[in-house]
Amino acid sequence: MKIEKLFHKLHAFFDTDRHRKKQHIEELKKILLKLKKKERKITHALQQTNDDSLREHYQTELKIIRVQRVKGIELLQQLKEHKKAE
Amino acid sequence: MHKALLLTVILLLSYGFWLSDAFKGIAAGVSIFLFGMLSLEQGFKAFTGGALERILQRTTDTSWKSFGFGFLSATLMQSSGLVSVITVSFLSAGLLDLAAGIGIIFGSNLGTTTGAWLIAGLGLKVNIAAYAMPLLVFGVLCIFQRSKKLKGTGYVLSGLGFLLLGIHYMKDSFEHFENTINLANYAMPGVKGLLIYTAIGIIATIIMQSSHATMLLTITAVSVHQITYDNALALVIGANIGTTVTAIIASLGANIQGKRLAGSHLLINLLTGIFVLFFVKDFVAIIDKLSIYLGIAATDKAMKLATFHSLFNLSGIILFFPFIRQQVMLLEKMFIEKRPNIFQPKYLGASAMDFPETVVESVRLESIHLYENAIYIILRTFGLYKYDLQTNVLSMPLIERSNHNSIEYDIDASYEKRIKGIYSAIIAFISQVGFTGQMTQSSKLSWLREANKHLVEAIKDTKHLQKNWSRSRTSSNQATINEYNKIAYQIALHIQQIENFRHEIENNELPLLSLDTLKAAIRNDDVQMNYAIETLIREQKITPQTGSSLINDSAYMHNIKKNLLKAAETLFLHGTDGNARIERQLALNDAEINDIVQTVDTK
Repeated sequence: MKIEKLFHKLHAFFDTDRHRKKQHIEELKKILLKLKKKERKITHALQQTNDDSLREHYQTELKIIRVQRVKGIELLQQLKEHKKAE
Repeated sequence: MHKALLLTVILLLSYGFWLSDAFKGIAAGVSIFLFGMLSLEQGFKAFTGGALERILQRTTDTSWKSFGFGFLSATLMQSSGLVSVITVSFLSAGLLDLAAGIGIIFGSNLGTTTGAWLIAGLGLKVNIAAYAMPLLVFGVLCIFQRSKKLKGTGYVLSGLGFLLLGIHYMKDSFEHFENTINLANYAMPGVKGLLIYTAIGIIATIIMQSSHATMLLTITAVSVHQITYDNALALVIGANIGTTVTAIIASLGANIQGKRLAGSHLLINLLTGIFVLFFVKDFVAIIDKLSIYLGIAATDKAMKLATFHSLFNLSGIILFFPFIRQQVMLLEKMFIEKRPNIFQPKYLGASAMDFPETVVESVRLESIHLYENAIYIILRTFGLYKYDLQTNVLSMPLIERSNHNSIEYDIDASYEKRIKGIYSAIIAFISQVGFTGQMTQSSKLSWLREANKHLVEAIKDTKHLQKNWSRSRTSSNQATINEYNKIAYQIALHIQQIENFRHEIENNELPLLSLDTLKAAIRNDDVQMNYAIETLIREQKITPQTGSSLINDSAYMHNIKKNLLKAAETLFLHGTDGNARIERQLALNDAEINDIVQTVDTK
C-alpha cells in the first residue's frame, strides 16, 4: 500500500499538469455537489415560507444556482473531453 | 530617555572612560552587543511578510504549540524582546488569543536561556572575534543589496557579527579590569546581597533593554571572578524580571489584549523570581548535582550560571504553565476594557504598525468594528436591533410594529458617537503607514479604505431616507405606509443575508457564488420597487408627489444595499482561497444576472 502511495505521489510529481487538471475536475465536482445540496435546501425553504419578499428572494436564489450549476456542468464536460483528448 | 537623565548618564560614562580604559572597553562591548541585537531584530523583521502570519496561525492553536513557537523563535532570534514585541503586535491585531500569547511567552522565556549557554560555553572559551569578522563583512555586503530578503539576511549576519564582537570586547576588557579594580571587593553576602543585586539586575536590564546584555555582563564578570557566584545568581534573577520591560513598553501602544499579555509576562517572571529567591540555596544544590551529570567543572561558574538561568525559567514553566486558563481569567479581571461614550478604535494601536500583516489585519478588524456600528445605526433608524435579524423573527409584521412604536432615531448623534472616531482613526492609521515595497498590503489597505467609505455612504443614504420614512409613519395613506415599510423590510432582509453570507464564509459554503444571489436580489428589489410605485401612481393610490419621493427613497435603499454589500465583500471575503478559483469560473457576470432578474420580473 505504501509503495503504491509513493508511486502515486511520484507519478503526480512527474506529471504535474495532468495532476492539476485531475484535481481541478475533482474540486469542480465537489462544488457542483455543494450547489445541488444548496438548491435542495432553498427549494425546501421556499415551500415553507409564506412571506412574499422571502419567496421572491428564494426564487431569485434558485435561478442563480441553476445557472451556476449549468455553467459548472458545461465546464466539467469540457475538462473531461480535454482530458480524454490527451 | 529624559534629557536630564541622559545628560547625567553621558557625564557619568565620560568620567568612567577617563578613569579606566577597561571600563571604556566594557561599555563599548555592551554597546556593540546591543547594536548587534538591534541589527538582528531589523533583519528578522524583513522576513515577516505574510509567512509569519501563516506560521503563527498554524503553530499557536494549542498551548504546547504556542510554547514550542516561543521557544524556537527566541532560540533562533536570540531575542525574547523581539518575540514579545511580535506577540504583543499580533495579539493586538487579533491574530492570536491571550492564551496562545501566554504560551509563546513561556516558550520564549526558556528559548532565551540558550543565549546564556552560548555565551558561557562558546563565547568565553573560543576566540569568537575571529568568527565575527567574516560575518560582518558578508552581512554588510548583503545589506547593500536591493532584494529585501538579502538585505534582511545582511542585517541578521551583521547582527550576529556585532554580538560576537561585543562579547569579545567585554571579555577582553574584564580581564584588564581585573588588574585595576576588583569588583569582588563589593560583594554582598546573605539576603541583603541577594535583594540588592536582584534590584541591580532589574535596573541594568531596564536601562539596556536586554536581558542578554545583563546575562553577558554577569557571566563574563563571574568568569573572571569580578563578582561572586551568589551575587551573579541574584543578577540573573533581576535580569529575568527586568526583561519584561520590553513587553511593557510594546504594550503601551497596544490595545487591552496587549496590555494583558505584558501584565502576564511581568506576573510570571516576578512570581518565578520571588519563588527562586526563597529557594535559592536549594537551586544552588540542584545545580551542583546537575553539573556533575552535565560534566561541568565545579569551578566553571559561568556554565553553572547558564544552568541556573535555564532552571530558573523551567521552574517558572512548571509552576505556571498548567494554569494558563486561570491566568487569562485573572488578567481579564485585572485589565478591564473601558467603554467610552464615544466609540474608540479597538485594534489600531501603535504596536499594530510594526509588521505589514498586522497593519492590514488590524485595519480589517477595525473596519469590521465600523461595519457593526454602521449596521446598528441603520437598523435602529427603522426601530430594529441586530437580534431581530434572526430568520424566524424578521418579518413584515415586526417592521410594522417597529414603525408604529419607534421615535425618530438621532442618526447624527449616533454617527458622532459610533462612526466618526473609528472612521477617522482608520483613515489616519492607513495614511501613517508608509511601506512602499509591500504592494500586496498597500492594495489591501486601499480596498479597506474604500470599504469604509462605502459604510459611511450607506449611513448618509440612511439619513436621507429617514426623512420621508419618518414622515410616512404619520401618513393617512396606507399604500404609502406599506411601501416605506417594504423599504425598511428589504434593507433589514439584506443585512440578514449579509450575515448569512458571513456564516457561509466561515463554513466555506461557496461564499463567492452566494455573492451573485445578493447582487441579483439588490437589482431585482430595485426593479420590483419601481414597478410597484409606478402601478400605485397609475392606479391613483398615491399622488405623483409621493410617488416621486418613493422613487428617490427606493434609490437610497438601492445605494444602501449596494454599499453594504461592497463593504462586506472586502471585509469578510478575506483569505478565502479554498475553491475560490473554480467559484470565480462559475460566478455570473452582470449580463447573466440581468437576464435572471428580468426572468423573475416577467414571471
